[in-house]
Amino acid sequence: MIILKSWINEWIDLSNISDNDISEGLESLGFEIENMKIVEPNYKNIVVGKVVDIYPHNNADKLRVTQVDVGNNTYEIVCGAWNFEIGALVPVALPKSHIVDNFLIEKREIRGIVSNGMICSAKELGLWEEHEGILILDENIKPGTDFSSTYSSYDTSWEIGVTPNRGDCMSHLGVARELSNYFDLKLITNSFKITPSIENVLITNSGKIIECNSYASVEIENFKITDSPFFIRYRLSQVGTRVINNVVDLTNYVLYDIGQPLHAFDRDKIFGTISVRQAKNKEKITTLDNQVRNLDESDLLITDNDKPIALAGVMGGLDTEVTENTTNLLIESAYFDKVSIMNTSRKLNLISDASIRFERGIDYNLQEDALVRFIELFSSNQEINYSRTLIDDKKKIQNKTVSFNDNEIYKILGTKLDSKFIAKTLSRLNIEHNIDKENISFISPSWRYDLERPIDIIEELAKHFGFNNFESTLPYGNNKNNPGSFWNLKRYFTSKLRANNYQEVQTLSFVDEKSNSRFNPDKKYVQVFNPIDTNNKFLRSNLFSSLLNIYKFNLEQNNISEKFFEINTIFDNSKHKLYEKIPNQTYSVGIITPSIVTNVDLRGGVLQYDIHYVKHIIDNLIGDYEIKSISKPGFHQNYSYLIIKNGQNVGFFGQLAYNLMEELNIESPLFLIQIDMDSLENNISNRTEYVPLAQYPFIKFDLSFTVPLEFKAMELVSYVKSLLENNENKIDIFDDYVKEKSRNLGIRISTRNYEQTYNEEETRGLLEMLAEKIQSKFKITLNMSKS
Amino acid sequence: MAELNLDKIYSSFLLAIEDTDTLDKLIDIQKEFLGKNSVISEERKNIASLNDHDKKKYGQKIKEITENIVNDIESHKLKLVKAKYKNREEKEFTDITIDWFENTGTKEHIISSVMEEVVQIFSSIGYTVAHGPEAETSWHNFDALNTPIWHPARYESDTLYLDKKLDNLLRTQTSTVQVRHMQEKKPPIYIVSPGRVYRSDQLDSTHSPVFHQIEGLAVDDAISFTDLKGTLEFFVKEFFGKDIKTKFIPHFFPFTEPSAEVLVSWKDNNWLEILGCGMVDPNVFEKVGFKKGTQGFAFGVGVERLAMLRHNIDHIKNFYDNDLRFLRQF
Repeated sequence: MIILKSWINEWIDLSNISDNDISEGLESLGFEIENMKIVEPNYKNIVVGKVVDIYPHNNADKLRVTQVDVGNNTYEIVCGAWNFEIGALVPVALPKSHIVDNFLIEKREIRGIVSNGMICSAKELGLWEEHEGILILDENIKPGTDFSSTYSSYDTSWEIGVTPNRGDCMSHLGVARELSNYFDLKLITNSFKITPSIENVLITNSGKIIECNSYASVEIENFKITDSPFFIRYRLSQVGTRVINNVVDLTNYVLYDIGQPLHAFDRDKIFGTISVRQAKNKEKITTLDNQVRNLDESDLLITDNDKPIALAGVMGGLDTEVTENTTNLLIESAYFDKVSIMNTSRKLNLISDASIRFERGIDYNLQEDALVRFIELFSSNQEINYSRTLIDDKKKIQNKTVSFNDNEIYKILGTKLDSKFIAKTLSRLNIEHNIDKENISFISPSWRYDLERPIDIIEELAKHFGFNNFESTLPYGNNKNNPGSFWNLKRYFTSKLRANNYQEVQTLSFVDEKSNSRFNPDKKYVQVFNPIDTNNKFLRSNLFSSLLNIYKFNLEQNNISEKFFEINTIFDNSKHKLYEKIPNQTYSVGIITPSIVTNVDLRGGVLQYDIHYVKHIIDNLIGDYEIKSISKPGFHQNYSYLIIKNGQNVGFFGQLAYNLMEELNIESPLFLIQIDMDSLENNISNRTEYVPLAQYPFIKFDLSFTVPLEFKAMELVSYVKSLLENNENKIDIFDDYVKEKSRNLGIRISTRNYEQTYNEEETRGLLEMLAEKIQSKFKITLNMSKS
Repeated sequence: MAELNLDKIYSSFLLAIEDTDTLDKLIDIQKEFLGKNSVISEERKNIASLNDHDKKKYGQKIKEITENIVNDIESHKLKLVKAKYKNREEKEFTDITIDWFENTGTKEHIISSVMEEVVQIFSSIGYTVAHGPEAETSWHNFDALNTPIWHPARYESDTLYLDKKLDNLLRTQTSTVQVRHMQEKKPPIYIVSPGRVYRSDQLDSTHSPVFHQIEGLAVDDAISFTDLKGTLEFFVKEFFGKDIKTKFIPHFFPFTEPSAEVLVSWKDNNWLEILGCGMVDPNVFEKVGFKKGTQGFAFGVGVERLAMLRHNIDHIKNFYDNDLRFLRQF
């Protein structure tokens, strides 16, 4: 919302207060300052002139020649606009003056007649966009007066953010009321009294509907549609509202002035009783913007005897619009329920200055005052006849008395506030209160809906005490330097993967259907009901598609083939493991390893990886685990495995299927890992048990066996380990030679005893024992060494 | 006379090693002067025939000369070894100005490292990390956090929902974790919850449908507004540096009261808003079933915003494009 210093000044006297102090005040009261602007005339040396004569231009049909009295002289000026007559007061740019954007005006011949300057429009003076031509000024200004002195042409505007709980601050009065507390200035009260001169023609009866607590109206007869007074047009344009005509401008002015939305009807198009009711299902109304609105029972309508005339609180109806031909008016000033207005405005996607204010809640005692204010402004500009104000008030809204112990203030704020400060602040804020020893009771004023509980008053006191005037203390939690198992696991995985030269990425969680179905054809996806992009309306069910995209992107854009990982959540629509009602979500790590990786040493060739490396990386991440071959969609039929840790499936890995490589236009094989972090949270111990170092020399021998193709080499390794469990061992497969129907498998055993050195005989015994046990256990044959 | 002999021996030794240019020759010389049957050992044999006074004096002299020879051989050996490698090192040179290694950064995504840093700061004052679902119930995201039914954050234009009835959604704030945590645990509570949040925004220079927040919650006996101030001032100084100034201005959040925004002094005397915070609204404690009079504070900070401010990143899209040219800068 934009506020104008000269306008605030109508409510509190700011003449001794600097703009910076006002800014500081606004901010400290909780109004975020989005923009502050010094308003200055965007012109120089413009004077007020009175048109004393007008005659045709002999050489141009579209131009007229005027005689303009500028005080000390009368000049002949050629003008192309036709919206003024003899007697009009207009802004005149005489030669050597500047109009908007520093444009210099000179004496100039126009089609054979010398024009001594120019009569200006609002646009030419940088005031507002005007479609009608010349800016016509208010009567009673002396010709020759410096134009910039006729209104507050030097001004300051602030664009402020008003928090949604402070509907009462959506007007100049509201902000002025807050500032009056801050600067200890008295709020100026309005003493205008109305003097009705006609009888009301229409009856208003808002009925029993609770969404309309009060409905007030006033009728005006014999008025003329004109421009509104200059200061009103100026102020409205400064706060960002389009200037239209006196009726519309004045309703807008009252809204920005005191916060009450008004609506003007053409009274002669309304018949009988005005009432408020819920719309019927599928009922229609054409609103002022010429749109047909389809309504339902949640919408509020203003009606006369036979038709809807307005969409309550949001926008008027087109049928009863005020037009150039309107001679009699009905001005509505009502209080509508905030939720009802919000629903309608949201549903129809129709947001107006009025609906914004109703949504936030307006002062429930302001309806009649707003009509009086409208009459005051209108009648100061034009002779009008008006009725008395009618008000139908259900008086259903009443702020209650709340009491609390003043110790609460200290408990919450941690600082003692002086009771004099408390009393003074509450008084200034118009909060009725009673302080009796430790007990504080209060009733909030009719414009404050945010003061219902003790905590609300405590906040109010803290704000007026000044947040920055509180001291600072630092409490400590009970778990220093241990962020807990969840974070520690993430840290652990991240550091391991970084150490193995994997680059972390963060990708968006939304994907298209294919990204999910490639790897999870089960269709158990979670879908966004109102997606930002309908192509990507699914939450991802795996991390692979994002990783493949990033891999491809960097390969294509940067010519780098890199290893990546991402730790994030994946979704499926099965039941959540812990919580009711929400879809299942698994915090996971996804890892992509290309078979060819760009070397960071520019002199080196590429780095090459295969499925064994990937398996090793998993070992590095989670320690010992078992593998089970599976057939996973999207994966190579033989290179696709479950990862089993402590008997539990914790993820899977494998090679991207060749058909997907082709589909994704990827040339060299890729390996993918996905591990469920949730299941590992309490399953990984990064505290390794120390193995003592044997002091005796090792004996080492290689054994070679002929094994079947499907033989699992690691079972052999584990078995040998178990046979030598009392020793310190290093046991590895060193050779796997695959022939057509069988394999030769070489195992290298290096073992040390903790107690003694093996002599030759013992060594031979050990070797024979192993060979025999292995052959009988696995039914495989030891190959005799050639030497 | 015998002493004179020893001096001669030493002189001839010095002469011998002077031109010695290989280790082998040096070893020969060593044998010649110190080994069995060397001149020195011959001299040593003569000692027996001397009187006690001369024996001592002469013995002393032999020891001295022997030590000198040993030392001289050692230092000459060192000289030879150095000379040998000096030559080798002279031949070896490289143009060190060439960067053969591409700069590969920390390998951690900048969002993750900023989160890690914030977690570390709060961990140092006793906070643990809590986490929770990203697809949440509207109750946890809005109702439990005292968000009125009319609040604009609930609009479908702002929040991504998962069903027509708007019962489930993608959390718009990590405060949902605080709600879950409070439903499961009792005070004292000191937690931070870093994580992803979602809004209905197109990805552009300043908006992203996915971004990261870290929210914190402290619930303990008599936790007050001054504690909130002290804690966040501590955080800002740890993260941005000791010289940074902070100010607190009033704000409105449905789930806290009093609520504030924290601004930090930035370049060109600008104040930039970086944190939202406040005392937890009593309604929130009531919703999670904590007893009346429970007190605590909560705060939230945008991770991308912290990263953008500190590293001068101008485009939020950078975080999610994952272009290695960007990733490797950190």
